[in-house]
Amino acid sequence: MEEPSKELKSIARIPLPSVHSGARGQVVKLPSVDSSNDSAPTAAGSDRKKLRCLWYALYFPQLAELDAAQQKKYLLELAALAQTVSSTISFHPLALIFEIRSSLRYFGGIDVIHSKLEKLISEQLNAWRLPGSFSYSVSPTISGSLLLARSGHNVLVYQKDKLRSALGRLPTEVLQLSKEESRRLDNMGVRCLRDIWRLPASGLRKRFGSDLINRLNKAIGKAPEPTRNYQPPPAFVTSYDLPYEIENLTRLLPLIDEFMAQLCDFLRRHDLSTSHLVVSLLHEKRSSTRINLGLRQPSRSQKHLMLLLETHFTNLAIPAPVTAIKIVVQKFDSFFSQSGELLSEGKPHPIHYSDNKLNQFMEQLQARLGEHHIKSINNIAVHCPEHASTQLDYTEQNTRAATQQAAQNPRPLWLLATPQKLAVRHGRLYRHQPITLLSGPERIETYWWSGTDVQRNYYVATESNGSRLWVYRERTEAQAWYLHGLFA
Amino acid sequence: MTIIRNSSENLEATTGKACGHIDQLIHDNPYLWRGCEMAGQGSHGHPTGYPDLDAILPGRGWPNKGMVEIVSSSWGMGELQLLIPLMCSIVEQGKWILWISPPYLLYAPALVQAGINTEQVLVLDLDTSCKDALWSMEKALQTESCGLVLAWQNWLPGKVLRRLQLAAETGDTLGVLFQQHVSKYSPSPLCLEIRNSLPEGSQNRARSQHIEVGVLKARGNFRPLSTHVSLHR
Repeated sequence: MEEPSKELKSIARIPLPSVHSGARGQVVKLPSVDSSNDSAPTAAGSDRKKLRCLWYALYFPQLAELDAAQQKKYLLELAALAQTVSSTISFHPLALIFEIRSSLRYFGGIDVIHSKLEKLISEQLNAWRLPGSFSYSVSPTISGSLLLARSGHNVLVYQKDKLRSALGRLPTEVLQLSKEESRRLDNMGVRCLRDIWRLPASGLRKRFGSDLINRLNKAIGKAPEPTRNYQPPPAFVTSYDLPYEIENLTRLLPLIDEFMAQLCDFLRRHDLSTSHLVVSLLHEKRSSTRINLGLRQPSRSQKHLMLLLETHFTNLAIPAPVTAIKIVVQKFDSFFSQSGELLSEGKPHPIHYSDNKLNQFMEQLQARLGEHHIKSINNIAVHCPEHASTQLDYTEQNTRAATQQAAQNPRPLWLLATPQKLAVRHGRLYRHQPITLLSGPERIETYWWSGTDVQRNYYVATESNGSRLWVYRERTEAQAWYLHGLFA
Repeated sequence: MTIIRNSSENLEATTGKACGHIDQLIHDNPYLWRGCEMAGQGSHGHPTGYPDLDAILPGRGWPNKGMVEIVSSSWGMGELQLLIPLMCSIVEQGKWILWISPPYLLYAPALVQAGINTEQVLVLDLDTSCKDALWSMEKALQTESCGLVLAWQNWLPGKVLRRLQLAAETGDTLGVLFQQHVSKYSPSPLCLEIRNSLPEGSQNRARSQHIEVGVLKARGNFRPLSTHVSLHR
């Protein structure tokens, strides 16, 4: 496969691949390729293309025992294997169907393809501890191949006009109709597909709906069969061995910038964005340094990614000089663009700043400070003062029921993490300076069920330097005074 | 300029209503130059919610952007209460409030009582290093979605304050720095000092807390002013 023009010429002379027919297969003449093909008008070209399609169906009855999610996962992995021989793969219940005509010439015949696939697939099935056998068939239509494969016979049908007779012998079970429908068919004396074709179409449509007729028409190529093809999941991995070791991380940035440009290009082409990527710095004789770039909002902006990486680099200490870099995208997300408003001036309230910019800012903060330094606060409807407010990491928001209702009595803006014991001298309270009580008491008694009994009388007080305090006196034996908050 | 100021002050003392009209007239006249707007580029600030305080601030309120320094000898003298009306309006605008390493735990019920949506409040831990705190403060000031950045730092060099001031101007954000000491050469356009105005032993006035707010420095003000503000109404 060196040069396309040379290849085309040589193909014309190559003897057609000989196909050994299976149990009931028919040997077919492949339409010979000649150079006039290229100059043929497009309509004729597409006709020929339609003619040429040949679908290879693999049917895995052993997957039926698994649950739906598992089946899907296995089929996806099998599809990835089948990708070695075909580029057009579609999924069906318990079956994979892929186009094979375009690969026949390259691999040198159906036998080669089949033996290649059989090895790969049975190995994979054995790895899953499933029986390694499966049935396969080839026909010019997708449904036809599927029906043939379901029958359990490995059939090769190459021509559309032979398809009807090949399918006609199959029992009606391959259609996988509902119980009621198959019982009715049975009562009508219909045992195989041929019997159905003998019945008048209008009557059939009346009794079984147009679905059955459509399916049979699709199978023999009378109706078009739209399919959804398998698309391999996107993957982006790039690595680069540096020509010399680099110790200064800022020197790495322009280099990584280039790879980021590649990445963003890749994302644009696939209409994706990323929310998690890993940049690894490889060192000699040391384990590599991994930098996780996690994004709150998926992005494909090179500038933003570089900004985040730069922020990470400012705090990063590497154990040894960097010898290579590697960028792996861990998570792809679909891309949503936000369009700005054309006529935004007339709007009275440009509310919702909590968008892109804030998210980018938060990501940057997290990159620099670490996840656990940024807190959001929540108001909890609890009587005990120290539990009425929680500080959670910004990332794990809204885990507990937060309310926007608060007590009627005054609450200070600042709370001491642990109440500070106040001194009492000559019958007056002291912190740094004497304290005067202003209002109160507000009694809070709670948690009697938990062992740490809370029994307090809360007062609003002022210190003589002007601070307004929230103090309480315990109602237990000690009757000590504590400072719990500042009104500030 | 002194004449206008004096007349308006007199009016305020006598009739509050007429003062509003005159202010309106003065404000509408583009040919009149007012001393109290000298550095505010004629823009009026955001009302503080305390009329007495508005009266002494250039632009009649908090500046819309830039740094404000609030000096109090100890934390908790009423400095946050001064800002509560501003915080409410910022939250209403949908912007965020970032608290950078406050000295005590921020208590959510009090915020809710004041009418501040706690979902728009973010707190940086106390144990973040000063360098990181300043870095995040600068970044926050540059971000438009942050409406207000509150920070508690003492002894910041003028260079740092200048940088924060620039960041606040680029991001159109107001930054408030709480300090316990007066820094002489600060580049902030507004510097307030909070003093205790509670006379010893006067119990009847203590119910509504009074503080004295003095203007240490204000760009555009021509003389130091101070006023008594009654909090906890």
